[in-house]
Amino acid sequence: MEIPTFQPRLKVLNQEQALAIHKAALEILEKTGFKMEHPGALEMLADAGGKVSNGDWVKLPAHLVDEALKSAPKQIDLYDQKGNKTMPLVNGNTFYGTGSDAIFTLDLETGQRRRTVLNDAANFARLVDGLENMSFTMSMANPEDVPIEDIYVYVFAEMVKNTNKPIVFIADSGRDIVKIYQIACQVAGGEDALQKKPFVLNYSEAISPLRFPENVMEKLVFCAQKRIPICLPSGSNAGGGAPVTLAGALALGIAENLVGLVVHQLAGKGSPFLFGPNVSVLDMKSTVVSYGAPEWSLSQAALADMRDEIYGLPIWAFAGASDAKVMDAQAGAEAMFSIINAMLSRSNLIHDVGFLEYGSTSSLEMVTMADELVAMSQFFAGGVPVNEETLALEAIERVVRGGPGSMFLMDDHTFEHFMQAQFLPKLLDRSRYDSWAEAGAMDLYKRCNAEAKRILSEHHVEPKPDAILKEIDLVLQRR
Amino acid sequence: MSDYKALIEAVIKGDIKTAVAETQSALDADGKARDILDKGLIAAMDEVGGRFTKGQMFVPQMLRSAKTMKECMTLLEPFFQEGDITPKGKVLIGTVKGDLHDIGKNLVSMMMEGAGFEITDLGVDVSPENFAQRAKEVEPDIVALSALLSTTMPAMRQTIEALHKAGIREKVKVMIGGAPVTEKYAQEIEADSYASDAGSAVNKAKELLGVS
Repeated sequence: MEIPTFQPRLKVLNQEQALAIHKAALEILEKTGFKMEHPGALEMLADAGGKVSNGDWVKLPAHLVDEALKSAPKQIDLYDQKGNKTMPLVNGNTFYGTGSDAIFTLDLETGQRRRTVLNDAANFARLVDGLENMSFTMSMANPEDVPIEDIYVYVFAEMVKNTNKPIVFIADSGRDIVKIYQIACQVAGGEDALQKKPFVLNYSEAISPLRFPENVMEKLVFCAQKRIPICLPSGSNAGGGAPVTLAGALALGIAENLVGLVVHQLAGKGSPFLFGPNVSVLDMKSTVVSYGAPEWSLSQAALADMRDEIYGLPIWAFAGASDAKVMDAQAGAEAMFSIINAMLSRSNLIHDVGFLEYGSTSSLEMVTMADELVAMSQFFAGGVPVNEETLALEAIERVVRGGPGSMFLMDDHTFEHFMQAQFLPKLLDRSRYDSWAEAGAMDLYKRCNAEAKRILSEHHVEPKPDAILKEIDLVLQRR
Repeated sequence: MSDYKALIEAVIKGDIKTAVAETQSALDADGKARDILDKGLIAAMDEVGGRFTKGQMFVPQMLRSAKTMKECMTLLEPFFQEGDITPKGKVLIGTVKGDLHDIGKNLVSMMMEGAGFEITDLGVDVSPENFAQRAKEVEPDIVALSALLSTTMPAMRQTIEALHKAGIREKVKVMIGGAPVTEKYAQEIEADSYASDAGSAVNKAKELLGVS
């Protein structure tokens, strides 16, 4: 008997709510409009039917949005740098990875918070390469030891040198994205090869509320034309760039995302666009954008429901981050909250794993811990398989009827199944008190620190061929 | 009446209607505008500032109190001569060239205004030359620079250079802030001060000018 296993799924919106938020987004685009500061994009929108006033203020009719939603691909496949399809972004597939520019990092040796350097991007990439449940890398560093005009090119090159997994990258404008693209083409084996099996995705942001700067649009248009996957989440944070009530923040963030999508599809019809805004909160005391707030998990769960009801596009999300300044209980609590919810919402590309201090500080220990939390969540989200084997009626009969000393622990059934049937933690410690004390009485932070060090020293990343490394250096040297 | 308790409470609560009514009745009862300002409104905002720093009030409440005070001020203004009301200091603020982010800058402006500073806000994407030009016109005590993008931070250095070139660097104090900005960077470009958030910006501004 084949009983399908229900995949646990978190639902937070009903259809009426989803439609109302979407309708509000359309109304923002039609009645309020937005500022488009890229002349080329402005022209495209005007030609397509957008109404322009005051030079660069645009209002969009709903049909433009519908057309863009139709032409954007419902599935985005990301490949690793060796050409394997490792991240099919579709339906309920979830993939976790790290985050971008962190001004500070927790030093692995001293535990001190210090300014990030280029080598940190290398270390984070290598750690991700060696962690089973991290699917892609981002820089986790805004290094102070490279020329700032090409900071993102340097950081991209460093990631390429230290991992073969997919890379989500940042660029400043049309100028440096070209250089990053050149490096990516070197790795993939040419423009066509990169287009067919992209291992990169660009992360750019419009400015909430409703402002689309020229340098941001340059990148969007470039990616659309070159068919490089891109996402354009604005920081439509409740109480910050967006209204304080979540429905409004979602409507605004989605409206901004739809502007990006429309321009994107006009520039490159059918090019891959990863959908979704970043809707967290502006903390009303400290004025930070919170990375541990439940609102962010809730808003992206809502977006996932809207994906299923309306958009059908793969979506961008976050998880595994915290506002805590050190990796303490708050860090663990906030990381787990977002990790499990992102998974149960079935968000597709889930970034920012490993951030502390509301995204200002990156932590290798935090990434390491989160890797295990993702595994734990995956086990839960896998549901309860029900079949003859798992119901284990024969084993029950056997053990109960067996003589004295008969127990499940000894039974064949347990031997055959235990590794799949249970979640086997590595870092979350279940040992008996005495053995834990004898081993050094280490807390999770210390254990993650040791594990991160171990991975960094032992994990071997398949290196790029020398010819490619030379080409990368040439691109870096070009002014 | 002379302790302005009801007025103070209304400002702290952000109850504009009551605060305005209290201000009016204070004036009607022959109260001196100066007294109402110092012992009523400014005393209330000092209390608000203190509570906010202690985490006992939220930003929207603090901004509402500042708005309440402003409304009451419009009743008092006719009673003051030109130059009677001296701000704690004059601040010229803007987001640097290439950067369009303004929430942080706006918050700093609002909080400084609430604390008694006079603000000239140049907006976003302000070139170094524009900062220098406006600084010559406005003659601020403080030039405050904001940036959210690390790639636009060099414009902070360039703005300080522009102030040097215009011959006014010595006449102002330069304060910088924004998510990617650090104390270290402030020292590197020889800014006078760095603040990590709007609340500390107010305190740093008071420190720089030696006012309370």
